[in-house]
Amino acid sequence: MSFPILSLLILTPIIGALTLSLSSSTQLKNKTIFLSGLWITTGEFLLSLLLPIFYDKSKNGYQFIEFHTWFDKFDINYYVGVDGVSIPLILLTTFLVPICLLCSINSIQNRAKEFVIYFLLLESFIIGVFVSIDLVIFYVFFEAVLIPMFLIIGIWGGENRLYATFKFFLYTLAGSVLMLLAIIYIISKVKSGNIELISDFTFDRQIELVLFLCFFASFAVKVPMFPFHTWLPDAHVQAPTSGSVILAGVLLKLGAYGFIRLSLPFFEYASIYFQPMIFALSCVAIVYTSIVALRQLDMKKMIAYSSVAHMGFVTIGIFTLTQDGINGAYFQMISHGIVSAALFLIVGVVYERHHTRMISDYSGVTNVMPKYSFFFMVFMLSSVGLPGTSGFVGEFLVIMSTISVSVYLTFFTAIGVVLGASYMLLLYKNINFGDLKSDIKQLADLTNIEIFYFSCLAFLTILLGIYPKLLFEMINKSISLSII
Amino acid sequence: MINLYQFIPEIFILSLILITLCFGLFNKDRAISLNTLGFILLSILLLNYGKDIYSSTQFSLNTINLFVLSKIILSIGSIVFILLLKRPLKNENLYRYEYVLFILFAILGSFVLISSNNFLTAFIGLELQSLSLYLMAAFNTKNLSSNEAGIKYFSLGALSSGFLLFGISMIYYDTGSFSIQNLNNFTAISEIGLSLVLISLFFKVSAAPFHIWTPDVYEGSPTISTLFFATLPKFASLIFLFRVYQELNISDIKSLNYIFQMVCAISLLVGVYGAITQKVIKRLLAFSSINHIGFMLLGIMSYQFMSEGTLFFYLIIYLITTFGIFAVLLNLRTVDGEFTKISQLNGLRFTSNSKSISMLVFFFSLAGIPPFAGFFAKFFILSASINDGFIFLSIIAVLSSVIAAFYYLTIIKNMFFNKLEIELLDDNNKTGKVIFIASGLIITLFFIYPDPLINLVDNLFK
Repeated sequence: MSFPILSLLILTPIIGALTLSLSSSTQLKNKTIFLSGLWITTGEFLLSLLLPIFYDKSKNGYQFIEFHTWFDKFDINYYVGVDGVSIPLILLTTFLVPICLLCSINSIQNRAKEFVIYFLLLESFIIGVFVSIDLVIFYVFFEAVLIPMFLIIGIWGGENRLYATFKFFLYTLAGSVLMLLAIIYIISKVKSGNIELISDFTFDRQIELVLFLCFFASFAVKVPMFPFHTWLPDAHVQAPTSGSVILAGVLLKLGAYGFIRLSLPFFEYASIYFQPMIFALSCVAIVYTSIVALRQLDMKKMIAYSSVAHMGFVTIGIFTLTQDGINGAYFQMISHGIVSAALFLIVGVVYERHHTRMISDYSGVTNVMPKYSFFFMVFMLSSVGLPGTSGFVGEFLVIMSTISVSVYLTFFTAIGVVLGASYMLLLYKNINFGDLKSDIKQLADLTNIEIFYFSCLAFLTILLGIYPKLLFEMINKSISLSII
Repeated sequence: MINLYQFIPEIFILSLILITLCFGLFNKDRAISLNTLGFILLSILLLNYGKDIYSSTQFSLNTINLFVLSKIILSIGSIVFILLLKRPLKNENLYRYEYVLFILFAILGSFVLISSNNFLTAFIGLELQSLSLYLMAAFNTKNLSSNEAGIKYFSLGALSSGFLLFGISMIYYDTGSFSIQNLNNFTAISEIGLSLVLISLFFKVSAAPFHIWTPDVYEGSPTISTLFFATLPKFASLIFLFRVYQELNISDIKSLNYIFQMVCAISLLVGVYGAITQKVIKRLLAFSSINHIGFMLLGIMSYQFMSEGTLFFYLIIYLITTFGIFAVLLNLRTVDGEFTKISQLNGLRFTSNSKSISMLVFFFSLAGIPPFAGFFAKFFILSASINDGFIFLSIIAVLSSVIAAFYYLTIIKNMFFNKLEIELLDDNNKTGKVIFIASGLIITLFFIYPDPLINLVDNLFK
């Protein structure tokens, strides 16, 4: 027991939020509030950088463990620790939150203080999910994430925000309560909420199937998988840019993380049993949502549907139950976290200037915003899966691992790649090329701040694309432990 | 010779009543401070000597703990309530000293009810409690809906008392005893009698399908009386229901057990479906309380898991939340009187930080969203019920709480997302403010430091 770095990671944003909320709002300018939020989150990012530096990759199991009894009577403890699977996601979170704040400095004018506070709380809850290794505390953070997100979409969203935020909240809650029952059942059987202990426990087979489905209900909504995905386009379209960024970048990963961290090790038999169902749903997700994305008129909606398709790769990869598959899926998660976040920012940039998200309202943007088109191209190509960008590695590994399962599966996943390329290229073409519309002429190119965060994201995409070992080194060992 | 020693708490309240009767007529404010002081003394007395008071009785240690804890909660609740009531009553021009007396009588009835070991005593306690409640409902005599609430409450309450008496007489006919404990070798007649007793108690705690009076009475009564109905008497009746369930081993009697489970399931569902369409906040809270009663009945049924702890924990959290919500509501007024509609809460966020944030905390807590205390309360109840094998009821319970989340979110939506339409006036009631901020803090901070509350419940059951 040494330096309590994980607790510090959870607490820093909360303390920041508290200090902000206690300061009197009338005296502070929006800019000061955002700047203080940025300082806090940047500090948080630097703090989280300590994790990969001091993480010992040669050891098995969790590190930086902290243990405090919480509810003594129920054997529910504050038990946190990280392994290779959680560290990259924590870094992704701490990396994206400052960017979210940066991109909203101009667009969020009213109630700026609340905005920063909700983002800080959101950050600490998300980190809480990734570090917890006790089921109850995992669930607490997993659900708590909903509150700030509900408020962010509801207060700063578009015209139809109420519908979107209610749908988001209730869908996720309905999935989660079933998981809550499963968690309670598991705790009553195992007499402990410790994830490692539960992994060693074998359930009765029939019961294991039911428990798996309960967990599945929650994670499938979060990911989202095919029949449960309808909240996502609504939420994305209505959310403010920063909300979409954090939603696509991190919140969707909570579901996939849950599959890797909980479902696979707990329910080994059920994971194999339900493999075909999950493959089928994911294939439908990939092909169907890609086709839907092709026909979208709204940029954000198109990228939202592409998110569903990309997360389809993730679920397929996870449930191939092979090292390559899960590695690929995990890589895809991180890559999608960066790329889709960047794409939503890209949409946000033009939306802020032109106040419309319709693809048909844009044409020939390259002529007035060359820098913008350049960054757009980088992220578009990465989303398509061009070799040399991060998008390629994950998709490639997932497709490769599907061959060992079924050639048909490979076929459908590969179709997804082709469809993905077509809608992304179409989007890029329609917006950037063609005749310059008259009302587009006055659009200003990227500001320095925007160039700064886009270059950070582009740098990461390309770095991971040409040197994927950076990530694989971190996750290999932990993932090999979670495979049956 | 009856040993009066064990009646000390009741005698204490009775003397408070007598003093208030003589002296409150001349000075209302003094009567309030006197009663506050009295209840503070009573809680200290119970906290320190509670177990000794009942040590000479034949009750088991567990039951004695139950008595002491619930009486402490009742006295603390009364302190909070008496401190709160002055301002709202003044606003309605109802500030008369009888109101405090009604509270005292109701609490006295609750005390008798909780520790009664005999159906007849329980009946007396329940009637004493109920009669004060009818009066409190109709206290605003100039207001028609308040009169209506009082009459509805009274006529339906009288009917349910009839059921209770009839049930008790059937049990007496069958077993020749009024005792709640040791009711053995009974036949079907007693079962019918017991089911009538249960129905009457379900009526008192407003469990569906015996809930019809709740929304009307909640809406019509003065808000401060509504707060009282929603908290302390209901708490006492629930404790008595719990005792009946436990002492008579109702879990072993198949027919009654079915009734219990059905009522639990119906309450869970009626509560949420009734609340969805409500536009008046007190009606919504009435239906939401029916849903919560469903959870509490689930807790009563699955007490084997960790004894009374889960139920008590849920009750305490529920009481704190309800006090908080009503403290906020009582602090808000429209220009032309009491505010009633949910839509009048629109844009509360822009006018009052503390109120809107406390309301956010309370409603998320009622919805059972972590990290607020309401989540843990539900979590423990569900743990207990799953451990005791009520899987189906647990599924209904969690699904109902998803639906419930919808209307709690609607309120939050009104406060946080909608634009300000009519500005609500702040009543500037300092005690009210202290109460809702304190309850908000308890509900929020519970998750960081749960020990005090858990230990309080725990220690008393050791």
